[in-house]
Amino acid sequence: MTSQAQPAVRSDEIKRLLDRKKDKMKFQLSHCMRCTLCAESCFLFKAHDKDPQYMPSYKVIHSLGKLYRRRGKVDRAFLESIKKIVWKNCVLCRRCYCPVGIDIPGMIAFARSICRSQGVHPDFEGDAQQSWL
Amino acid sequence: MYAFISGPMVWIAFACFFAGLAFQTMQFLRLSQKKELRALPGKPKAKKKKKGKKAVKKKKAWTLAALFAWADGLFVRQLESLRTSLLGHHVVMAGFTILFHILLFVVPIFLLAHNILLRDALGLSLPSLPEALTDALTFVFLLCAFFFLFRRLFVRQVRAISGPYDYLMWLITVLPFLTGFMAYHQWCDYDLILRVHIIAGELMLIVIPFTKLGHMLFFFFYRFLVGTEYSFGQGKRAW
Repeated sequence: MTSQAQPAVRSDEIKRLLDRKKDKMKFQLSHCMRCTLCAESCFLFKAHDKDPQYMPSYKVIHSLGKLYRRRGKVDRAFLESIKKIVWKNCVLCRRCYCPVGIDIPGMIAFARSICRSQGVHPDFEGDAQQSWL
Repeated sequence: MYAFISGPMVWIAFACFFAGLAFQTMQFLRLSQKKELRALPGKPKAKKKKKGKKAVKKKKAWTLAALFAWADGLFVRQLESLRTSLLGHHVVMAGFTILFHILLFVVPIFLLAHNILLRDALGLSLPSLPEALTDALTFVFLLCAFFFLFRRLFVRQVRAISGPYDYLMWLITVLPFLTGFMAYHQWCDYDLILRVHIIAGELMLIVIPFTKLGHMLFFFFYRFLVGTEYSFGQGKRAW
């Protein structure tokens, strides 16, 4: 690993991206009932002894939900914490089932693209070597 | 105060409720419009016509045995789809939620006291259920509601994604029923409980379209409208 200083997070860029899909994403976030019925449809949730942080709803609320709540004003450490949620805790297999019909994978993918815009993404030397299970 | 909350405020609450639902419906229809897809490079290949004889389709003989076999297959398929549905995976949760949502509509709509008020205001009313029955159904509703509250408090998966907003929404949903039950049995100060009951009911109506309680309407949109677009519809909506 190099010890180069990471560039500062561009909050205005994150805000611009968030605003692009604001209506749709906030609409869907506001209709999540927090019922946890989507949990059983995630194989990672089942494989991790039903750990709540692998629930599809948890992943959306604690990544994209927090980004919208903070209106994009986040630091790099926050984006790094989201990185684990949207890349390591989700493989975007699109099998998650929401009784209300919320497009969870679409929201995770959007959170990924926001992280990627700030250079936060898994690298092949480190993260990709780790197992999902 | 009582004259206002039981008079104009009721109509304001209903106006907010229906206007909010109309606004959110338009919002949903706007957001689910199909996006323009980029044209793929290259011309699509023309399909080759299949040569050879047409497959002769055998006519099915509708004997009694075939009818039984068909009905049996249908039953097995239905049973299988039920087993793999939420009802099969979470029997208790699905049971409570179905009961809860049915009673959420049935109890206030077919309540005698509400229908008397409706007749006084509009000169027409809906049929009413016996008071003893609606009282018992309200009790069942409250049991279901407390089941959801305990689930939110003690099941770690649900607790992990619950915040003050979720408890507030639970309170807004349950308060009209709890105060209605208390008012019917004349517990505590009747006048105060009745006023709280009316305000709680109006508050619930106002917030439904703008909060997660909006799933009252969007459940049907999400589940059926978008699905219909890909089956009977023209496939013009994407979610």
